[in-house]
Amino acid sequence: MAREESSPVTRRTTRSYSTSNNGVESTKPIEFYKPTLQDLGFRQPPLSFEDLLSNFPGRRAQILELLRLLGPLNSPMFPILVYGGPSTGKTSVTLQLLFHRKNSGNSYSSSKRCEKPSDFVNYLREALESVIENLKGNLGKSSSKSSEQPNGTMIYLVFDNLELVRKWDKSSTILPFLFNLSDILKMPEVGIIFISNTSPDTFYSNMGYMEPITLYFPDYTEDDLRQIFMANQSNRKLYSSFLDVVLRPFCRVTRRVDELSAAFSLLFKMYSEPLSDKEAALNEEMKRRLFSQLQPRIASVLNETFQVPSQPLLRAKSIQESMKKCSSKMPGIHEDHDKMDFHMSTSAKYLLISAFLASKNPATLDASLFDSFGGSDGRKRKRKASEKSREQKEMAEQELLMKGPGTFPLERLLAIFQCITSLAEDPFDEEGSHDLTIEGGSSGLMSDVLLQLSSLCNANFIIKGGSCPLEGSTRYRTAVSEELALKVARSLKFPLSKYLYRR
Amino acid sequence: MASPGNDATTTPSIDDAVTDNNLQPFFVLQKGSLRKSERNLSGAVKTRRKIDLSSASPKASEDVEDEREEENMKLRMEAFEIVWSKVESTIKDVLRDINTSVFREIQNWVHESFNTIKSLGTPDFPEATQSFPIVRDANSKKLFTGLVFTQNMEYVDDLLTFEELGKHLKSRGCHVANLSSLDFTTKNGIGGCLRSLLRQFLMSTPDVTDMSILASWYGEQNYANPVVVVIDDIERCSGSVLSDFILTLSEWVVKIPVILIMGVATTLDTMRNKLASNALQHLCPYEFTLGIPAERMDAIVKAVLLKPCSGFTIGHKVAVFMRNYFVSQDGTLTSFIRALKVACSLHFYVEPLSVILRECVLEEDNWESGIEKNGLSPELMLKYAYDLPSCQSDEMTDQTSESLAQAFSELKRLQNEWRAVVLCLHEAGKGGKVRLLDLYCEASDPESYNKRKAELDKDPDLPPTGPILIKGNAISEAIRLVRDLSTVQLGKLISIWESLTTGTEVYHRVFALKLLLKMEDGKSSKKDSTVTSK
Repeated sequence: MAREESSPVTRRTTRSYSTSNNGVESTKPIEFYKPTLQDLGFRQPPLSFEDLLSNFPGRRAQILELLRLLGPLNSPMFPILVYGGPSTGKTSVTLQLLFHRKNSGNSYSSSKRCEKPSDFVNYLREALESVIENLKGNLGKSSSKSSEQPNGTMIYLVFDNLELVRKWDKSSTILPFLFNLSDILKMPEVGIIFISNTSPDTFYSNMGYMEPITLYFPDYTEDDLRQIFMANQSNRKLYSSFLDVVLRPFCRVTRRVDELSAAFSLLFKMYSEPLSDKEAALNEEMKRRLFSQLQPRIASVLNETFQVPSQPLLRAKSIQESMKKCSSKMPGIHEDHDKMDFHMSTSAKYLLISAFLASKNPATLDASLFDSFGGSDGRKRKRKASEKSREQKEMAEQELLMKGPGTFPLERLLAIFQCITSLAEDPFDEEGSHDLTIEGGSSGLMSDVLLQLSSLCNANFIIKGGSCPLEGSTRYRTAVSEELALKVARSLKFPLSKYLYRR
Repeated sequence: MASPGNDATTTPSIDDAVTDNNLQPFFVLQKGSLRKSERNLSGAVKTRRKIDLSSASPKASEDVEDEREEENMKLRMEAFEIVWSKVESTIKDVLRDINTSVFREIQNWVHESFNTIKSLGTPDFPEATQSFPIVRDANSKKLFTGLVFTQNMEYVDDLLTFEELGKHLKSRGCHVANLSSLDFTTKNGIGGCLRSLLRQFLMSTPDVTDMSILASWYGEQNYANPVVVVIDDIERCSGSVLSDFILTLSEWVVKIPVILIMGVATTLDTMRNKLASNALQHLCPYEFTLGIPAERMDAIVKAVLLKPCSGFTIGHKVAVFMRNYFVSQDGTLTSFIRALKVACSLHFYVEPLSVILRECVLEEDNWESGIEKNGLSPELMLKYAYDLPSCQSDEMTDQTSESLAQAFSELKRLQNEWRAVVLCLHEAGKGGKVRLLDLYCEASDPESYNKRKAELDKDPDLPPTGPILIKGNAISEAIRLVRDLSTVQLGKLISIWESLTTGTEVYHRVFALKLLLKMEDGKSSKKDSTVTSK
């Protein structure tokens, strides 16, 4: 899904402007947008240059550079590739600059988002056609007015999220084409700007084309971030004391504004919660108290934001309450350890455990683990391990860890399943009469195994891999965390750790 | 429900063929799964009887007999339809009721989140239909997401739930689209789910799938109502497509206030594993939990088997088989209900007297008087009835229709008594998570009854201790729980029991117990006596 945004900033009115490098101040700032909507990109009227700079803290150098590359208003330009990490203001700055440059009569004639390469090609064609038409119209007009050559109508094609193009099938031909576009068009009125998350090296190919001028947007520094976050705060004092606390630890983890602001908004709510009067002046003592309250929560938010920010507030609250009750529990661990979170049938549980075992244990150990003695003392040989062999063993363990869960064929899974179900105590022996146990006992567990397997696959617990090229049979792999496997085993009273290799 | 006015004798012959065809597969299936399981028409009070096909078919091969048999079969199938539709509608109601509170909660949350989004402001039309300018503030890119934990690994049961949820929200003025995991395949990419979204909202499939189409559609709706997208089971969705979808929606959320509702079958970890972190970060999740399958199962068992519903019940062996299958094999209500249907259809297929149930459903009150109208000749019916092993063992002497009618009403009374006691036990065992289905299985076990009876025969003065206190037994577990109750809790429990047993004989005992409790803080040695009355 790439976003191709062609923003032909065409000017229909041929008013001549005393255009200088910057500071194109529109004479009639029209309110396009309702002022309530504080978060859309460009609701403001065209900005002055100073406003522009102050709007993007820490981007001064980039803005100047970009302006330099764009040149004076309506002057031809070379293709530009703007790149930098996500959330460093590439798109905003670029578009804001174009907006800054354009005049009140203009608007985005089209902005498209496309999901497929074919769509992209179509959009591109449409965009180019409209460009040409616009140009024709303008040329017609301009010729009638008999002024100089391109008559100051620049059209900018902005390709945002260019890195997505690489994933397309035909990227090897599309990319050089895009980069060559300005050459092909041979129209000085068309300015092309690419915006990408990745560096220009990633777009390199053997096909010859003129490389665009690159412009790097570095990550924000801590000071920049502080400025950014202070920008729209109503209670600046409180927020700045809040930033004193949180900004530094978070900056070590990430400098993406979007991630940070998501985390901060939650934390700030917590921070300012104890304050009854938000406008009251903060003294040092108060700050200290707030800090001590916030501190224990920072760690969990730090972890959560960057792995799973999806912690429902309600639930978080109830956890906090429960944590107050039993403070010995670790924060952040909220699952009840003895309880399964969802229902699974008994045979599915056994199947899950056997799949887990099949993935974790090497296949060669199966015989010793699951032989007729129940595997309790399967391995007798206890040779003294020499230094070297121990080292080798450690290496092998490392390797096993790096490789992740292994794959296994269906037959092995079923064999293990049969072993552990026959070993496990009959779960139905508490049932009163005898004939019931026969009907519903472990022999009954075997009957619908394939059905269970497919539902485990559906639930993403077992992943069906591609077939092995040599054997031709499908191989499976578990995606179950050890925690969950243990939980399942506990609910069955199955001694899982006894069967795990190296445990 | 079939219309009650349907007269038994005027069924067209096509119907016959249809029912015959319909039935056959059921019969075969039944044979496969519940081999020789026994059915008992009469609930648990009488002893069970073996299915004896040969006794059901007339011995003399006369045409009249054949015809009559055919006629009877037709009527029975009709009765089956009536009974089953009653059972089915009961189950549906139960499932809907069980979800109402969660649905209401979700609906409140949807409107709350919608108001939150609205408070950010409404864009004007040209603004709202274009993807640019993009939203810069990350906080207004938050996508409100309701995670509905279905608590069951199998998702089949919940397909209906999410459909109902969609209907519920629609009826409250939301725009709802139900997407399933089939819309989120890597093959179709994000275009697939957008297309399906557009199809459901716009009622037409445009050639181009673009969010701006949706945005302009929403603009036509005056921005008045929330847009809810329900995704059945995120476990089976392709993670990358879903992430893209979330990213797209989050960019548009100010312009189209989309609220996501996702069904999670397993744990929250699924979300972490499935979705890209940049997508996760846009979610603003809330959690809702549906009832666990065992609870739903209890509700169904209660409504269908223990409350007077259709008159059709299942016997001990069938119940145990179905329970075991539920616990150890499948774990879905869907298959439980299907098994119930199979059992029901087989019952009607092999039991000539089953046609009586029709009257039971249609006019609860004159159960006995309807017997004459159901196509069986009185003699034949008497013959069938007195062939039932329970009658044979009880050595009833006068085989008249009066005594039969009397026996029926007696049966009904006993059944009600029995049900009341089982429900009481369930109520008592609720705190200890005693499952109604387990209780049902145990309570309908004829062997424990026989054992008890034999004991009593040997020594009629045996004190009324608990029946068979095997450890892990559901009944004894329930009784144990009662013993542990404090006086106040016991008082509460007894008042619940009172309401449950109203109109039955057990009521008097419960009442006596209440008086006893009032007089002294005596412990519950008496409780066991109510139990043994089964």
